[in-house]
Amino acid sequence: MIPNKIQVFPSSDTILKCQKTFNNQIPKHDTKLYFFPFRMRSSSHEVHGTEPMDNESFAEFGKSEIFTLKTSMAKIRYANTYKMEPYRKFQAHLVRNKAQHILTQRLQETKYNGVTSIFLCNSISEEILTAVKDMGFDRYKYVVTVLILQKSGQAIKISSRWVWDVARDNWVSAKCETESFISLALITACYYE
Amino acid sequence: MEEFHPHSDEMTFNAEEAHNIVKECIEGILGKVDYNHNKVNQWTATIVEQSLTHLVKLGKTYKYIVTCAVMQKCGAGLHTASSCFWDTTTDGTCTVRWENRTMNCIVNVFAIAVVL
Repeated sequence: MIPNKIQVFPSSDTILKCQKTFNNQIPKHDTKLYFFPFRMRSSSHEVHGTEPMDNESFAEFGKSEIFTLKTSMAKIRYANTYKMEPYRKFQAHLVRNKAQHILTQRLQETKYNGVTSIFLCNSISEEILTAVKDMGFDRYKYVVTVLILQKSGQAIKISSRWVWDVARDNWVSAKCETESFISLALITACYYE
Repeated sequence: MEEFHPHSDEMTFNAEEAHNIVKECIEGILGKVDYNHNKVNQWTATIVEQSLTHLVKLGKTYKYIVTCAVMQKCGAGLHTASSCFWDTTTDGTCTVRWENRTMNCIVNVFAIAVVL
């Protein structure tokens, strides 16, 4: 009986796993399964056990399937460097000056406009992120938030809290105020290994 | 020697869970009140601290940054944008917007994975 699907059983310890992912039907005891290229293998459910598999009988198809499965599940592991601190620590004053400079340069002359502010906001946050990355503090992840708020006599309160490594993580804020709007940039840097 | 892996190899930020947590915090604090300039300080601080406490209670090895903006409703425009430089497989963000008759509230949660 030739099954509809071609089932692959490359080695005994991965047989059950493959069955789960590739096969919804449990083969019956007397089912014979076909590999490329045209070798007959008995089902793993037969009582007398599986025939010994030699490397040549591994189908190209079967091997690549297993490889892709393994690589998709594998997590890259790096060797230990035994380094607890970054080479160049995050320097808040430098970042603050740079962010302030970018804000004033981009926004000093502009007026608040509902449509353009969206793009302005996005592009400023990307520009600040690129600038901070270029400063070259190693082993840091950054989060940059930019707010543009139209002035119309209302009040706003912005507060932030965090759970992080007090010794190595830091944050910086920069503000730019014009007649029609206020803009605020918040940059946080988190150390990671 | 075996390396210690507290969780499975796949560790991703669950944005939905964070969204629910933060939404409950906001509704508990701002649910039935109108904008009050004297109390806003206290409200924002409480929202952020409570959200943070609940997020930490999830027990995952993440660093959290929670930002809350409460604005009086006045017809004015507010735009926020954020860009992040991190590991997209493990880190994530979640934004919760909430409003009532007199005010708008925006809460951003950023979660950054810690590798142990």
